[in-house]
Amino acid sequence: MPLAPSHASVRGVGGSDALLAARLTAGDDLALGEIFDHLAPAVYGAALRVLGNEAAAQDVVQDVFVELWSRPGQYDPAIGTLHAYLVVLARHRAVDLVRSELRRVARQERSHRLVPGQSPPSPCEEVMASQAATAVRAALRLLPDNQRVIVELAYFGGLTCREAAKAAGIPEGTAKSRLRLALAKLETMLDRELLESP
Amino acid sequence: MTAAASGPALPVDLRERVLAASLRARAAGRPEPPAPEISPDEAFSRAADAFYGMLRLLQGEHWKRPALRDLDVQGLVGHLTGVEEDVQRCLAGDPEVAAAGHVESTQSAAERQAGRPPARTRAEWRRAADRTVDLVRAADLGAEVAVHGMRIPLGLLLIVRAFELWVHENDIRAAAGLPPSAPDASTLTLMTGAAVRLVPYAAAQAGLSEPTSVHLVLTGPGGGTWDITLGQPPPPPAAIAIVTDALGFCRLAANRTTPAGLGVHITGDQNRATAVLAAVATLALD
Repeated sequence: MPLAPSHASVRGVGGSDALLAARLTAGDDLALGEIFDHLAPAVYGAALRVLGNEAAAQDVVQDVFVELWSRPGQYDPAIGTLHAYLVVLARHRAVDLVRSELRRVARQERSHRLVPGQSPPSPCEEVMASQAATAVRAALRLLPDNQRVIVELAYFGGLTCREAAKAAGIPEGTAKSRLRLALAKLETMLDRELLESP
Repeated sequence: MTAAASGPALPVDLRERVLAASLRARAAGRPEPPAPEISPDEAFSRAADAFYGMLRLLQGEHWKRPALRDLDVQGLVGHLTGVEEDVQRCLAGDPEVAAAGHVESTQSAAERQAGRPPARTRAEWRRAADRTVDLVRAADLGAEVAVHGMRIPLGLLLIVRAFELWVHENDIRAAAGLPPSAPDASTLTLMTGAAVRLVPYAAAQAGLSEPTSVHLVLTGPGGGTWDITLGQPPPPPAAIAIVTDALGFCRLAANRTTPAGLGVHITGDQNRATAVLAAVATLALD
């Protein structure tokens, strides 16, 4: 009895992305492996471009595929390709990591000012800060000079806000204001990068 | 998704790490989201209600239309009344129904409907189905029962019966020009599970003795993924993969469609996959 061609689509399921989505929903682990083999390099690349750190980008790849497998219904083939969905998800996760790190650094900065003589950051914390810094550097170049300088002094130079103000030759209140503005713009710019990058 | 998307080279162990983490989060084979679980007697009860609901839609002239084999719609409903009577005899411990033929044993119940008002046929079937529901509600669903050549747990028998009611409901719908129906996801999940469980039996009956491993993926409501081993000795994993929708697979198991008529995606040995699907179609009782 002849069958439909080898790769005929299942009734009610359109293109191959829709078929893969239906297979994931049905718990087909081979489908997950196929998707990883085809799309993991693109997912990894997207995360790596934002984070600039291989270990952190690999963690994002894991998060993205666990999310796809755990909640396959979140992907709607009618809206876009699986490639686009996974790459955007990877960028979102990577930017979330950067934002989280920015907030952590800001908290640490405040804490250092409030508690003199606190112990220096651990090697692990320094590595995490370095990962975030790589991603932020690109966005930094788009800031106005007076804001960029104060962020570089406070964020990359490791100076307190008071020391950065003194180094830049501006009052401490102005430095704080510029730092706040700069961090807000960085978040916005990272969002824009997320939407516009290929 | 036709070729590997470009990107930087991946670390060699990333694939294994990611897939292991994924399978820890959700075991392979389980549909997401899962259908709410119901018991086999609930599935039978739901199928009976759906069947009765369809009967109430029929107009007078529908009852005389040809439905299946030499039976008109009224005769087919009578056949189902006969099946209920045999199941009840089986539950009462009557050994005669163990080997009785599914069609032959119920023929008299089908024939006695001739000339009756349809409402009487309908009411007789409803009473018979209700009595089965009452009898199995307090029964041990794991206890083995024997009827119409099957010796299986009562729970599985009730799923087979739900399957039969759905199939004949659609036979009658087709005869009356009504749109086809599908069981709810919970009932369909039990039906697909039962059909998949019987695939090795069907393959053996069809003479497929060559060891084969089948990765079977049923999509849509009632779906799931199974790795089935056919023949002896146990074969290496996943010689063939078959992807089709769960409802279509149930229609195939009921012999209401053919492998060729089933939308299917196959990888691996086409001929062997075709033979397995053809064997599935022999599971039908009719």
